[in-house]
Parts: sequence; structure tokens; C-alpha cells
Amino acid sequence: MSEEKQTVLSGKDQWLVLTRLLTYTAPFKKQIGFAFFLLILMTIGDVVGPILIKVFIDDFLTLRSFPYEPLMGLAAAYIVIQVGNVFITYFQLMKFQEIALKIIQQLRVDVFSRVQSLGMRYFDKTPAGSIVSRVTNDTEAIKEMFVSVLAGFIQSAFLLVGIFSAMFILNVRLALICLLILPIIFFIMKAYRTYSAVFYQDLRERLSELNAKLAESLSGMGMVQAFRQEQRMQSEFGETNEKHYNAGMRNIKIDGLLLRPAIDMVYILALMMVLSFFGITSFDAAGGVEIGVLYAFINYLDRFFEPINQVMQRLSIFQQAIVAASRVFKLLDEKELAPSQSESCSHTIEKGEIEFRNVTFSYDGKQNVLKNISFRARPGETVALVGHTGSGKSSIINLLMRFYEFEQGEILIDGKSIKYYQKNVLREKMGLVLQDPFLFYGTISSNIRLYDDKLTDQELREAAEFVQAHTFIEKLPDQYEQRVVERGSTFSSGQRQLIAFARTIAANPKILILDEATANIDTETEEAIQVALERMRKGRTTIAIAHRLSTIQDAEQILVLHHGEVVESGTHQELLAKRGLYHKMYLLQNGLSHDQELV
Amino acid sequence: MRVFGYLMWFFKQEKKAYLIGIAVLLVVAALQLVPPWLIGGVVDAIDTDTLTGSSLAQFMGVLLASGVAMYVLRYIWRIMIFGSSVKLARQMRARLYEHFTRMSPQFYQKRRVGDLMAHATNDLSAIQQTAGVGVLTLVDSLATGLFVVITMAVLIDWQLTLIALIPMPIMALSSNYYGTLLHKRFGAAQEAFSDLNDKSQESISGIKVIKTFGQEKEDIASFRDLSADVVKKNVAVARIDSLFDPTISLIVGASFFLSIFFGARMVIADDLTIGQMISFTTYLGLLVWPMLAVGWLFNIVERGRASYERVEQLLSHSVDIREKTGALETPPSGDIIFAIKRFSFPGDEAVSLENVSFTIKRGDTLGVIGRTGAGKTTILKLLMREFDGYDGRVEFGGHSIDDYSLKALRKSIGYVPQDHFLFSASIRENIAFTDPTISQEKVEEAARIAQVHEDILGFTEGYKTIVGERGVSLSGGQKQRISIARAILMDPEVLLLDDSLSAVDAKTEEAILSTLKETREGKTTIITSHRLSAIQHAQQIIVLDNGELVELGTHEELMEKQGWYYEMYVRQQLEELVEQGGQTK
Repeated sequence: MSEEKQTVLSGKDQWLVLTRLLTYTAPFKKQIGFAFFLLILMTIGDVVGPILIKVFIDDFLTLRSFPYEPLMGLAAAYIVIQVGNVFITYFQLMKFQEIALKIIQQLRVDVFSRVQSLGMRYFDKTPAGSIVSRVTNDTEAIKEMFVSVLAGFIQSAFLLVGIFSAMFILNVRLALICLLILPIIFFIMKAYRTYSAVFYQDLRERLSELNAKLAESLSGMGMVQAFRQEQRMQSEFGETNEKHYNAGMRNIKIDGLLLRPAIDMVYILALMMVLSFFGITSFDAAGGVEIGVLYAFINYLDRFFEPINQVMQRLSIFQQAIVAASRVFKLLDEKELAPSQSESCSHTIEKGEIEFRNVTFSYDGKQNVLKNISFRARPGETVALVGHTGSGKSSIINLLMRFYEFEQGEILIDGKSIKYYQKNVLREKMGLVLQDPFLFYGTISSNIRLYDDKLTDQELREAAEFVQAHTFIEKLPDQYEQRVVERGSTFSSGQRQLIAFARTIAANPKILILDEATANIDTETEEAIQVALERMRKGRTTIAIAHRLSTIQDAEQILVLHHGEVVESGTHQELLAKRGLYHKMYLLQNGLSHDQELV
Repeated sequence: MRVFGYLMWFFKQEKKAYLIGIAVLLVVAALQLVPPWLIGGVVDAIDTDTLTGSSLAQFMGVLLASGVAMYVLRYIWRIMIFGSSVKLARQMRARLYEHFTRMSPQFYQKRRVGDLMAHATNDLSAIQQTAGVGVLTLVDSLATGLFVVITMAVLIDWQLTLIALIPMPIMALSSNYYGTLLHKRFGAAQEAFSDLNDKSQESISGIKVIKTFGQEKEDIASFRDLSADVVKKNVAVARIDSLFDPTISLIVGASFFLSIFFGARMVIADDLTIGQMISFTTYLGLLVWPMLAVGWLFNIVERGRASYERVEQLLSHSVDIREKTGALETPPSGDIIFAIKRFSFPGDEAVSLENVSFTIKRGDTLGVIGRTGAGKTTILKLLMREFDGYDGRVEFGGHSIDDYSLKALRKSIGYVPQDHFLFSASIRENIAFTDPTISQEKVEEAARIAQVHEDILGFTEGYKTIVGERGVSLSGGQKQRISIARAILMDPEVLLLDDSLSAVDAKTEEAILSTLKETREGKTTIITSHRLSAIQHAQQIIVLDNGELVELGTHEELMEKQGWYYEMYVRQQLEELVEQGGQTK
């Protein structure tokens, strides 16, 4: 449960958020226009029905005169309008919902695109759950508002206008009197909004408190039981539960006082006004009351209040949606973008030479995780990075992949700054294999292919064969079409690694960046991985993070990192001869039998 | 409707509220009949020119009185019926919580917190709906429907009533039909939404891969497709949803037309007054809601039933660890004898412990070492009696641990878990977890022993600093030390440190261990660890490998042996060296 803390927005902020939301309706102007046209038709139809009955009552029924033709005409008109209106109503309702859904889709795609363009720094500081929540749940809340509040509000407004127009046509004085209802309703709405905003907010907060407490108790139940605090936790939960109950009751009370019962009361008052008006008019002998008009007014009053009830019940949805929208807009306005490339340059990567020149880097601007790093990987060479956790190996890769922007020093590819390559060029020519090979939901082939539709099945298979993944894939019941569930959890980590290799090779990069997996890998797959790695590196400049030193013994250059600095460098043999840090790491991994002197 | 049977215990418990609520509802349903009747009366009086000032005032007086009465009564039934339903949710939530506190770790291993949460939130709210809106809908729609039809038939005309009602059943049928369709399509829309959710989740978790392959655009396109699917499924919902209003107006319109057509003929024949005809049409308006409600009722009740059954199933889950009748209530103290021939976790084939036997004298320290998964934590879990069902014996203070009540047993044990769990509360509350009323001095003393007092003073709010999921983020080492302080505060007979020093540096570890030694004179301590430095000083060390006890002795004895322990020792010396960048101290 990721209940966000509710922010309270001022009236002005709410208004700003709403107007910004409404800008999303712009591309749908025509459709909205059409929907409004239908709405107007529907409203007219709704309003005309009672007038026809009024004509029938006043011109025929009270006079007890029934000429055949006009009557049939009247009946026919009534039926046509009623039936026609059924269809118009249907399409009108549909249209508004459809438009709302499309608006939300656009908003969603916008948010998602924005997320894609953000830099890794943003993902470091923001929990994934809350980003997902922005993309889906918050936009869903906005959808609710568009579908059930805004559309309902507009429909109600039209109906009200229609009803009042009809009333004015029928009887101006009575219509004027009926206008008195409006301020009363306005007053109730305002009161409800004021009080329910507070109470409803309180209820939501209590609920999220309750859920937080429950979630925490469930995950910490082991602790609670080990320390025998069950009873205390129960009574604490009881208190929160009680507060939530009280908040719930307060809401029921305020709803009971100001929602439907109150509106129904106003209806009775309106009825009294209409009946009294006609009653009093009837005393004046000259006046003469048209019963049909009375009928029509009463009928209008019946229709008048239902939409108001609905709009009021949905006011809380409106409040939530505005808060959700303000969070969504905050994400849309996020400035932590991915490092930019100068897209005007048209350099390509030909040789694949990589050079780090005095690169110093810090994630937080305080502590440097890389200090003045310089090295050069000539085309086709392998440079291996070794060091324990936190030594800066991954940071080097993060910079090379342009996941983070660096300020000091320079990274050059083929002698030109990495910043002067187009993003596409970098992505095409540099292939990264992550330590934790992330597999997407789909099939093996979709995971190797990713979104590259140009890749033929033949090429896909060749890539898999090249990295030794073919053998195990072939044994699967559905082979390349085998389902990959969430994060590929049905495959061993070694198999996931091989699929990730195939994915990288299928893209045929010039530069290979490897972050070796630390996870335990069964021996059979391990062998396949080693063969695959060797093949992949052939003809490609490779930067490899190695956890197992055995895998990089043939590297042209090994950099030993410690606290963000290169403390040793050279080939495997050279480093062993130094008997320094590398030597000790080697001993650690290959058994201590050679060396007792350390103890 | 079975769910109302399920809930009968609650209706009985809240007899008064429900009876009052239902009685009030019935009165309101009857009062609703008054305004249309009055309208008819006024119309007829006007039509026949018999309306006088006083009769008009009388009409209005009755109308106003009925309006005010309805307002008050509507408020009352809401409090009674909706209020009771909120009470039901509160009660069931508390029951569920209490049940959760009695469930063993085994229960939690099999279930995800999210699923349990869903029961406590979504299912309870569906049940609450049933006990509130469900009851209201059932009573109100039946009462209103019945009253209106009877009034129309008796007071106006039964033939006209029959004619006017002809289209009405279609409304009940169609609203039920739409409801079922809507439910199904809504389910599909929910699924599409959840796919979209999964997709975003996945893209954000896999953002590095996407960036690596430069596939942002393609990924956005695929997101767009999925969100278009959401639109499609929702439009399918809208197609049904939009049917409700037109259907109502078509059926009501037909009913109106029939009433006016036949009503007018009766007016001409002088069987009916105009006022009655107008009353009649107004009554028709009152029938719309009961007809619609019947359709909804099935959905509400159906959902309530499914939810109630799920919650009941959860509540019926029996307690795994049972106490003996007449279990000892005195917390144990004394020697611990651990003699396990064989233990497997429930539902797990693999043997977790085999032939592990040792004795700890009261006041001694036992060190347990071994790789991850060797069975170190399992020993502690058995000692705390989180699991039963082993072949062997665990004795504490001369009795099997099964002879004690859980409360007594655990009162003697202070446990510091591997995955230091802190609650979203202040540091003080976390340390004083077992005794919230304990003095500040005692809390600080525990924190000093755990070497975390200075750290805490460094926070802006000191001991009042809120930690946990929604508080300040602490380092792993700080969390561990607060967990240690929490266990120390209760000054337990046995202190269990489950690899609890892994995130503190060597110097702090040393300081904690030596203060513990001083302050826990005569009390037993069990320490499990990866790192030998944490257990080196123990009177007895056992080495576990793959659930079996492979070596046992003091540090010196084990070093002498040149076996597993010795190798590990040498290795760790080297590791330490590498971590320091290769320089020997």
C-alpha cells in the first residue's frame, strides 16, 4: 500500500491545477463540440416532454375535447421525442466517457514519456512504487473525475438551464420564484464542501494510518511475537481502529445532514412554493389556472434534484483528483533529466577506442566516488575493473553509459568527447550486460529482440547460438516462444545471464560493457557463460567488471580500484608479481594453500 | 442473499440499531407517499374551484410537516444502519488483527503482506457495504415499491396501476442484466489497468536496460498500446454504463405514456380526477429507484458473500503452535539443552537441522558459526518455539520448552533478529518496545550498552526521532544497534544475537561484546555470526555446515584442530586485509 501523504492545496492552486488539466481537452475540441451538441439535443428533448403533456392536459383534457388528428399528432410527437432521446442520451453519455478516457490516455503517455526521459538520479531518490503510482493510480483518479464529476457536472448544468428556460416559457413569475431554490442549494453545497472537505480528508488520513499500522504489524509480526507485545499492539491498533470508526461516523452524520436528506427537503420546499403559487393564483377568479402548467412544473422539479444529488455525492472525488493531478504535474515538471547529448553532431563510432581522462565524479555532490580516474582501452582490447564493493567500478560504467552526468574530466570515444555523440549512436554501438540481467514479461524471443522488429528469426537464433544460450532454450517446451514471467524468475540466474548476452549480441555493438554476475551459477551454465564471454569480447573493445578474477586473466589491462582510485594496474601476471591488493584478492578466491604468510 | 445469514450474528448483536433503522426506513417509505397525494388534492381543489385559503394552508402545513419529518428520519436511519455497518467493519478488523497476532511465522511465510492487507481492506469494505447499503437497498426498495403500488392501486385505481406497471419489470430485468455485464466488463477493464500497472512497474525497474538499448521510444509506444487497451476496455464498460439512463427514461416514459393515455380516458369517463392522474404519474416516479435497486442489490450481496467467505477462511486458520493445558507460567531460567535429531521446515523436503546437540550452562555464551543457510537461525527459531514438529528435545531450566506458556518462554528470551525490523515510531518507543513506561535512564542505559547512545544524541530530535519506514533513514549498523538495545532493555535471561553485528565495524563490535560481557554476568547469550570476531570469546563455539554440527569447542581448541573453523579464520583475516585496500595494519 503506498498511501501518499495528502497535501492540502489552496483554492488558488486547485484552480491552477484544474485549468491545466483542462488544457488536455484541447486536441478533442471537435469531439467535445459534438458531445455538447448531443447534450443540447438531449436536454431539449428532456424538457419538451412535459410541455407536450401540459398541452394535452390544458388544451384537450380539461376542455374535454378530443379532436382525433391533433391528438394523434401530439402523441406521435411525444413518442418520437422520447424514443429519439433515448438514443441521443446513450450516445451523449458514451461520447463524454470516451473523450474522458482518451484525455487520460494522453496524460498517461505524457507522464510515462517524461519518466523515460528522466536521469538515473531521479530513480535513485524516488521509490519505484511512487513513480508507478503517478503513472497509473493518480491518472486513474483524474479519470474518475473526468468521467463521473466533470461530465456529470456539465450534464446537470445543461439540464438545469433547460429546465429553467422551459419554466420561463411556461410562466415567468413562477419561474422567477423557482430561482429562489438556487441560492439555497448553493448554500448547502458550500456548507457541505466546507465541512466534508475536512471530515473526508480526516477519514482518508485515518484510513491510511490504519493501513500503515496494519501493514507494519504484518511485516513486523515476528518481532511483536518474539517480544510478547501482541496485546499492546492489539490495543494500539484498537485505538487507530476506533479513530477511523469515529471519522467514519462523522462522515455519515455530515452526509446525512447535508446530502440527500437536505436536498430532498429543498424539493419539498420547492413543491410548496409551486403549489402555493397556483393555489393563490386560483383565488383570483380572473387568473384561471392552467393545470397542465402546474403538472409541468411539478414534473420539472422531480427531475431537477437528482443530478444535484449526484454532483454533490461526487465532490470528494473531485478533491482527490485535484490532489492526484497536482502530483502528476509535479512529475511532469521534474527537472532531473537524463544527461543530454548534442544531437547536431554526426560522429559515428568506428574504432571503439575509449579513454577516461582525469574523471572525478560524485553522486551527491559531496563525496567523490571516483577520483581522478584515467585509463585508455584501445580498439578490441579488454580492460577489467576489479575491487571490492564501493570501490567505484560500477560508477565508471554508469558514466560510460551516460546514466549520470559528470562535471570534471572527460570521457572520449575515438578521441571525441562522449557528449558529442548522438544518443542513438551511443546506444547502438555500446552494449551493456547488467549484473542482474533484467528480463521483461513476454517470451524469450521478445526479450532477445526487445523492440527491434528488423531482427529476423534467423538472426535471433544466431545470436542465441553465438552466446551458447541456444542449447538450453531448445530444451524448453516452447523454445524461443517460452513465456518469461515477471523478472524471469523461472530461469536460473545463469540462464538469465545468457539471454541477456544474446540480447546484447543481437544488437551487435562495437563496445561491450560487462558487469559480471555475482550470483551463484551452476557449473554447466558457468562454462557456457565463459565460452560466450570469450566469443563476445573478440573484436570488441570491452570494459568488464569482474568479481571472479579467473574470468579476466587474459585482459590486456586490469585496473584495481579502491575507494574510487586506481591503486594498481597491469596484466594479470604483472599484478600477481606485485604481491599487492590484486594478489591478495587472487589468493582469497583461489584458496590459500599457496600462501600462509598472511596469517 | 446467503450473506445476510452469515451476518445474522451481527444483526442480532446490533438488534436495536437495525430494528430502529428498519422501522424508520419503513416510516420514511410511507411518508414519501404524502407529497404526490397532496399534489393531487391541490390540483383537484383548484380544478373544482374548492380551494380556500385555509385548505391551502392545511395542505402546505402537512407537506412541510412530512418534509421535516422525512429529513429527521432519514438522518436517523443513516446513523442506525450505516453507523452499524461501520461498526461491523471496526469489529471484524479488530478480530482479524487479533487473529494475525496469533499466527505463527509459518503462516506469514506462505502469504504476502499485500494479500493479507487486501483482506483487511477490500474485503472488509465489501462486507461493510453489505451490512449498510445492502440492508438499506433490500428494505427500502421492497418497502417503497410495495407501498407505492398499494397506494396507487387502492387509493387511485388498480386497473390503471396494472397497466402502468407493465413496463416496470423490464427495468428490474435489464438493470440486473446490465449489472452482470458491467461487472464482467469492469473486471476486464480492471485487468487491463493492472497490466498497465505491471508494465509501468516493469519499465521503471528495468529502466537501465531500456536506456542501455536506447529503447525509450519503443517502450513508450508499447505503453501507449497498453493504455489504448485500457481505453478500449473502459469504453466497453461505458457502453453498458451509458445504457442505464436511457433505459430508465424509455421505460419510465412508456409507463407515463400508458398512464396518461388510459388515465385520460378514465378522466373523461369520470372514473378519475385530473388531480388523481397527476398524483399517479408522480407515484410512478417513485418506483424508479426500487426497480433499479433490485438490480444493484444482487451485485452488492454477491460481492459481500465472496468477501465474507474469504475473511472467514482466514479467521478459521488454526494456530500452529499450541500451548499445553496447565503450561508453566513462570519464565524459565537455567541451563539450555538442545538435542535435535532432525528438523525440516513445514512443507519443505530438505532437512534443515540434523543431529545438532549441545548444552549451554546458565551464564555462558554460545557462538554459532557457519555459512548462510547452514542452520544458525533455525536453532534460534526452535529455541523461541516459532516452530514445532522436530525430532528431538529442547530443554530450558529443566523442562522441555513445550511445557512453558509461550508468554513465559518468550519473556526469558531477548531476540535481535538478522533483518533488524524497526517500527515507525520514535527511537525511544522502539527501544522501550517491551515496556513503554520504563524510565528514560533505563532506555539510555540500554542504548549505551548497544553503543548507539551517541548516534541517537546526534539526531536532531534525539530519542524522539521517528524511525522506520516513514521516518529518518538510519544506516544498517544504527538499526542493528537499536535492535540490540531493544533486546537488552528487557534484561533477558537469554539474549539471542542473530548475526546482529554484521553491519557494525570491528571496533564497535568489540565494544558491544565487552560491555555485554560485563553487564550480563550470570546470564546466557547466544550469538550467531558469519564473522568469527563476534564469537571468538564465547565459552563454547559450534560450527554448522548444511544443518549439521561439524565442530564444537573453544576458539583455541578449534584453531588447534586446523579444520573448517581454522580455514574460515585465515580467510577472514585476508578478507579484512582486502577491504582495507591491501595494507596491513
